[in-house]
This record gives sequence, structure tokens and C-alpha cells, in this order.
Amino acid sequence: MTLKKLSQPILLLTTALVFFYLIQFIVFTVPQAQAEAGGLAQKIFYFHVPSAYALYLSGAVCFVASAGYLYRPSDTWDSWSRSGAECAVTFGCMVLLSGPLWAKKAWGVYWTWDPRLTTLLLSVVIYLALVVMRTFTGDGEAERKFAAGFGILGTVNLPIVHYSVKKWGGNHPTVVGQGGGGLADPNMRLALYVGFFAMTLLAVLLLIARARLAQSNAKLLALEEHAAVEGLLESP
Amino acid sequence: MGVMQTPTPNPTNTLKTPADRAQEFVAVQGGPETTSAESLMVAAYCGMWAILMIFIFLSWRRQQKLDARLGELEAALAKRGRS
Repeated sequence: MTLKKLSQPILLLTTALVFFYLIQFIVFTVPQAQAEAGGLAQKIFYFHVPSAYALYLSGAVCFVASAGYLYRPSDTWDSWSRSGAECAVTFGCMVLLSGPLWAKKAWGVYWTWDPRLTTLLLSVVIYLALVVMRTFTGDGEAERKFAAGFGILGTVNLPIVHYSVKKWGGNHPTVVGQGGGGLADPNMRLALYVGFFAMTLLAVLLLIARARLAQSNAKLLALEEHAAVEGLLESP
Repeated sequence: MGVMQTPTPNPTNTLKTPADRAQEFVAVQGGPETTSAESLMVAAYCGMWAILMIFIFLSWRRQQKLDARLGELEAALAKRGRS
């Protein structure tokens, strides 16, 4: 077995082990935060923030691949752009599900039209629109170019999501990064770092898997066209 | 010196007339948060894993279908090439 073939099972096993460690660490070791931050519900943070980071990562992949496709169209760029958007939707849904559940305890409401929440929702909706469009329309050059433009638009919104808290305020906490008080306990910090590492591994795995899927799909379409020319299939 | 008497609870003291009872419900902002943090945390983690597992399962199923179809077409084209 070559190293290339082994790399994915190794990555999968490492991701599973890191997640296993992270979950037990969050449950049994990490202390709960003050009541105003949600108490025990604050432990959602160790998955919520890394999921948002994975959304940024997927968005970045979508942006680079979309720009690459517009510059030099190819199946590879298109498959990575599609993969980035699909993973961004998945991680975005994870953020949008976990955030309101934490907010219910910390703020007393599931949702508020806070600048960060609103801009994040907008970004996820843009990526979702892109995924829906790619699923239900054809796979022609025009659709691919339109999707690439949409992918760039979705990612351009991500810095707005990130800096919205500093620019426009709102309820959303700013614990991590500039202006934040940080995490007081070393175990809290370790949980967050391990969370970032775990989500990076997961994002890489999912991005590779979805890009491969999109490449297989493109290959299938080309083969079907070839088979139709050969008379093996009816013309699409 | 008089003996202090504790008042005995009398339900009739709180409901003097029918007019004193609540006759409408009004929405209020805020109020005490009573949702259990444990259940919210468990719901959040279960929900996130469910989203992830559904995504992985759908990807895996789609990849299986694509691989099967690709195999079929490649075999058919190879057969045509030989004949």
C-alpha cells in the first residue's frame, strides 16, 4: 500500500482520536464558566468556535478555487469550489445550531438580530444558495461561472462576519482575539486549541471527500457523453 | 406581652374576587431563565454530530452510486473498444 493510499485512513483515525480526546476532556476536565456566560452551557463554545473557524477555512477554499476557476476554468478548480461551499454550509449549520442553544442560557433568547448572527446567517444562506443551484441546475460552463462568482461573494462576506462585533457591537461575546479577556483557566484554553486542531482535521477530510465526489461526478458526465457518442447511451 | 401569631395561609386571601384573577396573558421581555444548561449542552452536541453524520452519510452514499455508475460505463466502453 502506498503512502498516498494510507494517508486518508491515517487522517481519519487521527481525527477520530482527537475528537474522542476533546469530548472527554470537555466533559470531565474543563471547568464550567460563570453563570452570565451560560454556566455549563458555555461548554458548547469549544465546538461552536472551532466550527465557525472551519466555516472560514471552507469559505477560503471556496474563494481560492472559485477565483482559480474564473481565471482558468478546469474540473479541479470547480470541484474544490463546490466542495468548499458544501463544507461551509455544513459547518455553518453546526454554528447556527449550537449558538442559539448556548444563547438561550446566556442571553435568555435563542436568537437576536445581532450584527454577527445576522451576517453569519447571510453567509450561510449565500453558500446554501450556491449548493442548491449546483444541485438542481446543470453542470455547464455558465452555471459553473455563476457559481464561482457566488462563491467569491459568500467568502467576501466572511471578514464582515468576523469584524462585525468590533464594528457594530451587539450581544455576541468577544472573548478570543483582540479586545477579549481570554479564557481564564488553562484547561479552557487547551480545550479550545484542541477544538481548533480537531476541526481543522475534520475540515480537511470533508473537503477532500467532497472534492473527490465532485471530480467523480465530472468524470461521470464526461464518460456519459463519450458513451452517448459511441451509441451506448441515448444522447443526454 | 402579647404572643406573636404566625398567619396561617388562607387561599381565600389571595383570591378575593373573581375580578382579581388573571384575565389576560401579556408577553414580557426577559424573566428568569429556567432552561437546563445540561439539556441545552447535550442538545447542541447531539445536533452538531447529527448534522455531521448526515453530511458524511450522504457523501458516502453518493460516492458509492457514482463509483458503481462509473464502473458500469467504463466496462461498457472497454467492451465496445475490444469488439
